[in-house]
Amino acid sequence: MSSGPIERRISYLGDRLRASRCQLCGKEYFELRDYCGVCGRKSFGKMDSLDLFYEKGKLELCTLITEPTNKFAKLESYVFGLVSFHDGQIMVPGRITDQIVPQAEMVDFSALEGKEVVPRFRRRYSVGKCDVIPTISLAFTFADEYYPYQHYSVVEPKKEYVTPGIVSYGVYTSRFRIKEGSIERSVPFIDEDAITAAVEAGKLALIHAGLDSSSVGKIYVGSESNPYAVKPIASKVAQVLKLGEEDEDVQAVDAVDTEFACKASSSMFKDAVSLINYPKSGIPAAMVIGTDNSQSAPRGCPGGELDRFVGFGASAFIFGKHDVIAEIEGWYSCTSDTPDFWRRDGEPFPMHGGRFTGEPAYFKHVRKATKKLMEKLNLRSKDVDYFVAHQPNPRFPVKIAKELGFKEEQYRDSLQVCNFGNTYSGCSLLGLAAVLDVAAPEERIIITSYGSGAGSDSYSIKTTRQLTEKRARQRMTVKYQAKNPFLNYVDYTTYRRLKMGM
Amino acid sequence: MRNLPAIVAVGRTKFGEHYGKEPEKLIEEAWLTASKDSGIERRGLEACYLSDCFLPITNKLGLEEGFLSELTELHVPMEVTRSVSAALVTACHAIQAGVYKTVLVGGIEKMTDRWDKIRDDLMLLEDPWSYYAGGTPEANHELMLRAYIRKYGLTGENLEKLKIALAQIAVKNHANAVKNEYAQFQRAITVEQVFKARKASRKPLGLYDFAPISDGASALILTSDELAKKITDKPVYVLGHSSATDFLNFPARDDLTHFIASKTAMRNSFSRAEISPKDVQLLELYDQSTFMELIALEDLGFYEPGTAWKVIYDSCQDYKTYYALNGKKLFVNTDGGLKADGNPLGATGGAQIFEIFKQLRGEAGDRQIQNERENRFGCTHELEGFGTKAYVCVLGKEQK
Repeated sequence: MSSGPIERRISYLGDRLRASRCQLCGKEYFELRDYCGVCGRKSFGKMDSLDLFYEKGKLELCTLITEPTNKFAKLESYVFGLVSFHDGQIMVPGRITDQIVPQAEMVDFSALEGKEVVPRFRRRYSVGKCDVIPTISLAFTFADEYYPYQHYSVVEPKKEYVTPGIVSYGVYTSRFRIKEGSIERSVPFIDEDAITAAVEAGKLALIHAGLDSSSVGKIYVGSESNPYAVKPIASKVAQVLKLGEEDEDVQAVDAVDTEFACKASSSMFKDAVSLINYPKSGIPAAMVIGTDNSQSAPRGCPGGELDRFVGFGASAFIFGKHDVIAEIEGWYSCTSDTPDFWRRDGEPFPMHGGRFTGEPAYFKHVRKATKKLMEKLNLRSKDVDYFVAHQPNPRFPVKIAKELGFKEEQYRDSLQVCNFGNTYSGCSLLGLAAVLDVAAPEERIIITSYGSGAGSDSYSIKTTRQLTEKRARQRMTVKYQAKNPFLNYVDYTTYRRLKMGM
Repeated sequence: MRNLPAIVAVGRTKFGEHYGKEPEKLIEEAWLTASKDSGIERRGLEACYLSDCFLPITNKLGLEEGFLSELTELHVPMEVTRSVSAALVTACHAIQAGVYKTVLVGGIEKMTDRWDKIRDDLMLLEDPWSYYAGGTPEANHELMLRAYIRKYGLTGENLEKLKIALAQIAVKNHANAVKNEYAQFQRAITVEQVFKARKASRKPLGLYDFAPISDGASALILTSDELAKKITDKPVYVLGHSSATDFLNFPARDDLTHFIASKTAMRNSFSRAEISPKDVQLLELYDQSTFMELIALEDLGFYEPGTAWKVIYDSCQDYKTYYALNGKKLFVNTDGGLKADGNPLGATGGAQIFEIFKQLRGEAGDRQIQNERENRFGCTHELEGFGTKAYVCVLGKEQK
């Protein structure tokens, strides 16, 4: 479907699985209706709107698709069936995603029928390079198979803080991994990209926050692998996650994409808190997402040296003044024009400055930002409980942490590059999330990002007592994703195929 | 009934791949056969009802009436529907209202001109949300079959018999097509072949369970009963006709194991025809898949829901050309059905009527059913989409 208007209408219903329920007879429909088909005229204005997007469904019937229609051809074979919601009140078609069905494998349909499933936000099917990328949430994974089912409910806030801080976070990586030596890296399924990961991470952050999505007044999405040259990821996130008040298909939220290699999202932490703190902004909460299907040329091609480290995933943080889990003590940012990594417009893969990306680029900026921040806040390395640095490979973050005087126990928890690879814009944020997963209240974290081009943001963050209170709503922890019995390991050829998408 | 519509002549092309022929050539061939048989010249036509499902997509032909006008050099009213049954119902209304006395009804489809994209088109038009979710034209048949198995608790031996019964439907239809010179597949197949194809596809239904995509055209000339008697000794009357509709979105329907549209259309057309389904022993069913033939037998009320597979299994134990029905014989898809005769969507209904017409008149050649005394009525059942529309027409060689 290359028509913009048609695409917009299908996505509007299908991305969030919008449904409606008649207040009079309770009948539900998978669509937005102004009146009930049974009750007719008297039900006008009495239809409640529902989102099935956060719900758990049941796979009622299924079959195998071995010869998909043209647009689904890249998925090869997959299970397709009917999914019910609300005890069969609503029945929708759906495809089981995140599964590679091997050639010649017989699928036992009866074993799958009756299992619980959770909707996933994915690319709908393949289109031409010039077309709008179609998305849909009629893709499902089995509940508690890699992704735990998590209920989304709005929780009444307990405490208001003087200055804004981190309210919640969510990290999304895919079920697939490639393992080479001691490094495991997350690999997107073929229907995933930076957009779908951003939405999934944002969803997890909202669940963790227990926050009404309409209170999020600003969304920043940082990425260097947006599949569009022009068109924001943030608009999709805002619409699908219903950020800001919804009015006539429009969300009352300011949405913007940012770009600065791997620090496109960390850079916006201070903008988010500053905005919330500005008395006239009227914005109670802001969301920052770093998302990337980290790009690299295939091995052996120019720029292909990155191919050993690139991962896939998104990290989302929500900032606000209520129920803060970590306060921001201060920050320091620095920038210089250092071309150590770049991608020219229209080129599919980035180029890499080799040895030049080390000392004059990564180390110089990370060192500068961290040192200056610690000077500014009068901190010594022993005042810090955790140090998080950007992780382009396993060696760099360790080297700089040691140089800055941090001991292994201070940086060990944040090191996630060996579990997920370099997730680019979401990378240092993923490290921060891993620390927040395990940190105790009243602990200090220093996080320093790095973005090629080049610059660094360093933040000092202090956890609060509410950090541990909210953990019950964070089932999709970084550790859970790193050590998961449902991980699916793929070979190099499959990894490249999945990474290039549909 | 005043102005009872009567079919006086039929014509059709062979179904299959017609790479070398334009759509216009196909309909011309079908119309000329009908014209020659009835002696009705083009100038005798007062209106034309043409059907095609996909010509605007497959051949980028948007105003089909225009090329039909060029072909016939006529400027009479012409309308386009999506199936021959729909065209016939509309034409019947006009004849019954006394508006026209002689009408051409035709159907045409040219699916192989877009063989590489036709499955996407079919699925998108048939059930858009299932298409967006990754469904294929075959998937809904398989899901409905699984719903059927579950609803009627078929396990073990019974489930095996159902699978064999479905295979036998394909075998029977291919055997019938061997005797049909117009059929797409004039060759016999075996139950083993059907099972082998299912195993290869790793799904409940395989290649031999589904109707093919086809090119073809069909035509018939419809007149009032008064006029019909002057044209032919053996007119075939349209005694009853009706259609019914259902949701486009298959998963949203209340009943996932049967087509409400088929049931409703059946009830209404037989009530209009004022005959009982028991009087019918000749059926042309819309077997887009083998399972659809089984479902149609239940939807149209010939067998109780959940039981048709038993009858089919028993009936086909040693090959016969009919199913057993209360001690009588029920002949189904004697032309090979959609499975073997072919399924050029917009022309398929015309082939179904063609077959009933020939059988009732005793002109079906090798396929002729040998039951002269009871060979009085026939019934066609056509679907549009996946049960979104259903048409049932009751045809008879005598007026009731």
